[in-house]
Amino acid sequence: MRLIARYAVELEEVYEIVTVWDEQTDRVRVSKSDPHIETLSHTHPAAIWFERKMHDDFGIVIDGAFDNRPLVHQERFPRGLHPMQKHFTQTAIEPVEYLPYKYETIGGDGVFEVAVGPIHAGIIEPGHFQFSQAGEEMLHQEVRHFYKYRAVEKMLEGKTLADAKAVIERISGNESVAYQIAWRDIALQAAKTELPDANRKYHAMLLELERIIHHLTDLGFIPNDAGFGAALAFCSKLAEEARRQMQRLSGHRFGFGAIGFEETKTDTTQMKLYLDDLEKEMRFFEEWITDIPSLWDRFDTTGMLAHHKALKYDTVGVVARASGMALDRRDNDFYRAHGFVLHTEKSGDVAARFKQRLAEVKNAIVMMRALLMEQTDPVTLNEVHDGDYTAYAESSLGELFMNIIVKDGIIERFFVRDPSFMNWQALHLMMPGNIIADFPLINKSCDLSYAGNDL
Amino acid sequence: MIRFWNKRLKTGTLTEAPEIDTELAALRKSLKDEVKKKFAGSLAIRMVDSGSCNACEAECNALSNPYYDLERLGIYFVASPRHADVMLLSGLMTFNMTPHVLDAYAQMPEPKWVITLGDCPAMLSPFEKNFAVNAPAQNHLPIAHHIPGCPPSPDEIIRGLLAFLKKI
Ligand code: SF4
Repeated sequence: MRLIARYAVELEEVYEIVTVWDEQTDRVRVSKSDPHIETLSHTHPAAIWFERKMHDDFGIVIDGAFDNRPLVHQERFPRGLHPMQKHFTQTAIEPVEYLPYKYETIGGDGVFEVAVGPIHAGIIEPGHFQFSQAGEEMLHQEVRHFYKYRAVEKMLEGKTLADAKAVIERISGNESVAYQIAWRDIALQAAKTELPDANRKYHAMLLELERIIHHLTDLGFIPNDAGFGAALAFCSKLAEEARRQMQRLSGHRFGFGAIGFEETKTDTTQMKLYLDDLEKEMRFFEEWITDIPSLWDRFDTTGMLAHHKALKYDTVGVVARASGMALDRRDNDFYRAHGFVLHTEKSGDVAARFKQRLAEVKNAIVMMRALLMEQTDPVTLNEVHDGDYTAYAESSLGELFMNIIVKDGIIERFFVRDPSFMNWQALHLMMPGNIIADFPLINKSCDLSYAGNDL
Repeated sequence: MIRFWNKRLKTGTLTEAPEIDTELAALRKSLKDEVKKKFAGSLAIRMVDSGSCNACEAECNALSNPYYDLERLGIYFVASPRHADVMLLSGLMTFNMTPHVLDAYAQMPEPKWVITLGDCPAMLSPFEKNFAVNAPAQNHLPIAHHIPGCPPSPDEIIRGLLAFLKKI
């Protein structure tokens, strides 16, 4: 079974530990006075971040875990404070005495460490990478995050679904449309309202446009990190044009506010022309870039994630598909009817992730044509019913999972698992055998979100 | 490679051409003049994300695409705060990032300025103040200028930088 998410919900007397698998959902209750659960990390290593987070959030003790360090709470975070507990209502905390974090490192003669971050040498989000090096070669890398922790889950408690939207669409800017679609599905379930087909198509088209923007950006940055700047110039031009299409369609360059229940009108002729043009540009790009051996020399066999490891670490999205996992939330009748083809690569290296993105852009263009709608009508939502609602979306990074519990018309618990939360935990597997100078290249080929991971 | 050069010649210069947008051209000219006057021709910016949604960073990256090509105006994003005149600060100043942001600021040589980018650091985006959020940034750093927007578009960032240069 594939692990999708694991989180706790605070009830009157107990904590409910919810473990979401692809085939089933397990629920276990533990007492609040002395909460203990068994770790799943021995069979599903990616469970460990969920569990460490659960400890930080609620104080739940994880038995048998190989790693009990705090995850979200950093060196100066007040000890013993578990902010997701309902009775925690402080709006400010004071930093406490610095307690060093113990990084995973490898010892030995001549082995040294390189610390990178949290602020990186570029326009990138903050996060920390700790490398154990034997000369240029990376022996091990630890990813440490949660510098951007905004406590979004807590922030949304007590809001209505409608009020929560403005925050939800800003959790991870480059996946905004995907987050909004997950929110939309929950809002529809809670209101027991059906979405007309035309609206579903229009939203799906925006999601593909978001994917195109994101992949194009990466298709430029990945070669750039291998020293081939011309590709960045070329693709960042295409990405800018795609962003302007998003602006034209939704009134916002990132599609904030794009997914809703109002009526919309699209200039389909203009859009078709744009898509034809993009298709032509992509054809040129593919021919051009495939023909540069020195670039593929850097891509091939770099940052390998073997298929069995991708499975073991429950990876998702582009990373999983580039390692041969046939896993995509769009793999259903609706999407297939609009041209979706599930593409996977085999080699699991930077080259595979690059080719995967190329294939997904090309497929997204085909889908956008099939999804084009001249007009959508407004939808009126019925009143909101209390309940426990789950939604998925396939963002440009991978599978997004969202769960919202509504009680008395307001959010009782909000939980979201960004695709990056799974894939960050697999990043270190790609490092051994590579030189540290290839780290930016490998990292970029995965292009994960820090904001969506840290919440 | 020959295909690439053919394409290159056919595409020409994309950077929004002065004859199309005279207002933008005037704006860029005055920006370049101000950079020249006040920063000897090169303004070095260190971008620091203190807890953004990453859209503000994406727009800063877009400043280097062929449509905007910011470096042409003498404005550079630098890798180290020690090379920077200006810190461009995005995000909510999270509790976890605050010490690192202050560290980076301390590393910058005088004279130095902080410009806040986007609604987040001014605590004007839809996020609410809670224990994990230390914004507004003005409670922690002297803010010389603010560029509003969620996120500000590349054009708005260019205008914002000009307004800052006029101000100082
Ligand atoms: S100001 Fe808006 S776009 Fe910028 S980081 Fe904040 S939420 Fe994102």
